[in-house]
Amino acid sequence: MRKIGFSIFTIFLVLIAVLSGCSQSSDQKQPSAKQGKTYTIATDVTFAPFEFKDESGNYVGIDMELLKAIAEDQGFQYEMKPLGFNAAVQALESKQVDGVIAGMSITDERQKKFDFSKPYFDSGVVMAIDESNKDIKSYKDLKGKKVAVKTGTEGAAFANSIKDKYGFQTVTFDDSSNMYDDVKSGHTVACFDDYPVIAYGTTQNNGLKMVTNKEKGASYGFAVSKGQNKELLEKFNAGLENLKANGKYDQLMNKYLGEQAKKSVEKDTSFFGLVKSSMPSLMQGLWLTIELTVISLIFASILGLIFGFMRVSTNKVIRAIGLIYVDIFRGTPLLVQAFFIYFGIPTALDFRMSALLAGVITLSLNAGAYMAEIVRGGIQSVDKGQMEAARSLGLPYGKSMMKVILPQAVRIMIPSIINQFVMTLKDTSILSIIGLAELTQSGKIIIARNFESFKIWLIVAIMYFIIITILTKISNRLERRIRHGKVKSN
Amino acid sequence: MVKLKVTNLKKNYGDLQVLKDIDLEVKEGEVVCVIGPSGSGKSTFLRCLNQLEEMNGGTIIVDDHDLSKKININKVRENIGMVFQNFNLFPHLSILQNIALAPVQLKKQTKAEAKESALKLLDRVGLSDKANSYPDQLSGGQKQRVAIARALAMNPDIMLFDEPTSALDPEMVGEVLNVMKSLAKDGMTMVVVTHEMGFAREVSDRVIFMDGGYIVEQGSPDEVFSHPKNPRTIDFLNKIL
Repeated sequence: MRKIGFSIFTIFLVLIAVLSGCSQSSDQKQPSAKQGKTYTIATDVTFAPFEFKDESGNYVGIDMELLKAIAEDQGFQYEMKPLGFNAAVQALESKQVDGVIAGMSITDERQKKFDFSKPYFDSGVVMAIDESNKDIKSYKDLKGKKVAVKTGTEGAAFANSIKDKYGFQTVTFDDSSNMYDDVKSGHTVACFDDYPVIAYGTTQNNGLKMVTNKEKGASYGFAVSKGQNKELLEKFNAGLENLKANGKYDQLMNKYLGEQAKKSVEKDTSFFGLVKSSMPSLMQGLWLTIELTVISLIFASILGLIFGFMRVSTNKVIRAIGLIYVDIFRGTPLLVQAFFIYFGIPTALDFRMSALLAGVITLSLNAGAYMAEIVRGGIQSVDKGQMEAARSLGLPYGKSMMKVILPQAVRIMIPSIINQFVMTLKDTSILSIIGLAELTQSGKIIIARNFESFKIWLIVAIMYFIIITILTKISNRLERRIRHGKVKSN
Repeated sequence: MVKLKVTNLKKNYGDLQVLKDIDLEVKEGEVVCVIGPSGSGKSTFLRCLNQLEEMNGGTIIVDDHDLSKKININKVRENIGMVFQNFNLFPHLSILQNIALAPVQLKKQTKAEAKESALKLLDRVGLSDKANSYPDQLSGGQKQRVAIARALAMNPDIMLFDEPTSALDPEMVGEVLNVMKSLAKDGMTMVVVTHEMGFAREVSDRVIFMDGGYIVEQGSPDEVFSHPKNPRTIDFLNKIL
């Protein structure tokens, strides 16, 4: 028993080392001239031209360069966490991060929860439709139609304020590229989004055109939690002032919204051109997907063994604990679990947790519940006489389990374990919702830049398919070897 | 010397009372055969003796250990070998490993010692050539002989047999009974639940007839088989002989 304890401990140490390694590589650390506190800033992942990944996988955009310039000007350090807009806002609410810069409109409602900097950009709302659409010319033409909006944006607020007047319905999306795709695929006829975003999108051939004039709207601000990080806010304001004064601010705007932006359009948008250009960041995503899967499965196996044994215990209380664990994690969606663990618990208990750690915990607990059931099923499928024979020889319960029951149960469990492996690998895609840049999220990020949703999703799907097929083949071979090797079946 | 003393043993599954009030003493070296119709509680009784079934009342004393008290049952079981109707060999282990598992795991012997004594035991049951086979390569009779060897590996001084020949093809019954006979001859204390009346008559020192959760009649093989007194015993023997 001591030996097992030791090896679990070793695995733990290795995993912690691996985890801290990944979290370092996945965050972008910005060097700064002066030493000081390192702030954690959250942002959106798909809000071009304010934040998006360029072809070499670096985050660029107005927000990114503005904050970088301000940080240099004011001499502070920060870590940028691209979480997605909603996740970023929730992360700020739960104090997982110090600030959010994500093309965030300053609204009365938000000012109740957050303190905003001086506005750094005056936005506005504009309506866009499919390039080939000639029927929609004004809001009146929307009568009886569906319109796409993005959750929590000014565009959504504006659309909702006029929808009764013009008689249309709104459909809500989580990021701009999904919203544009919905319009292009004809499910909705138009979308309302912040002016700079659509303006930038059309320069990148996103397939939409603007048909109305800009509705005057609110301004974008940098947000911190109410009453916290006052000094960060002051530095931001001071830095913004300096940049406006020295002309750097105008240069930046021109780079993303002026003529200069059109030059950066991706040239080769053929399937293989896209494969080539997107492969580096997709491979990074795939690697994180595999890492998440493997690390989570190791923990899930340990949990599965512990709770699986509890499920077959002779003690009622222990059995009940096992059942409660399994029921909770099989009885709630993985997505909800991820939100609960990443946002819910840290908010309630006032601490911080990296998205990677939250992702691993979520997947481990979730897959652990399924593993527990696999373990229970495997153990229970071994003939009762085996345990009786072992016990009749004087072997204690634990030894009988380890030496007699488990070796037989494992053979029965292997196909289910392989199946769980594949399920967990696919489930990692759900973790894109808390901003983990795994394969699905990497795909989303690329689409946010180039709007090639069909081809990029196809590439992503093929990558999942290939990796899962390879894993299944390897596992099947392993399974055959265990079945037909030295170990004989009855 | 009394090896095994059972007093007022009771066992029930929920409302169903399987053993009602059993008293029995088994002396060292004695061979006791338990016979009776199915459902009479004889297997349950046997399984109570090494606590594979927990009892609901009464006491069982094995050597000096009172099984109704809180004791280390594993230690007691080391001294009680058991042979099952369905063999219950470990299919993932070779014959040698089946036999050596308990002595090695319980640190009674080193691996080398356990291997040596396992080979001796296999020789004793006539299966020396099967040491490296796996259970599914053996016939039923061979499996049961291995099971006996496995039970003997812990050097028990009591052996329990739960219908050891019931799952066997008729032509294999003999080989298993022969091993049991030689065990009896060597002075092993044995409690055997069996339908083999010939074996019971020839080998046992005492025959016990159970019915409805009670011991209805007991005595020497001659008394029970040739001069049964209880009508239920007479009825049972008439049916099977």
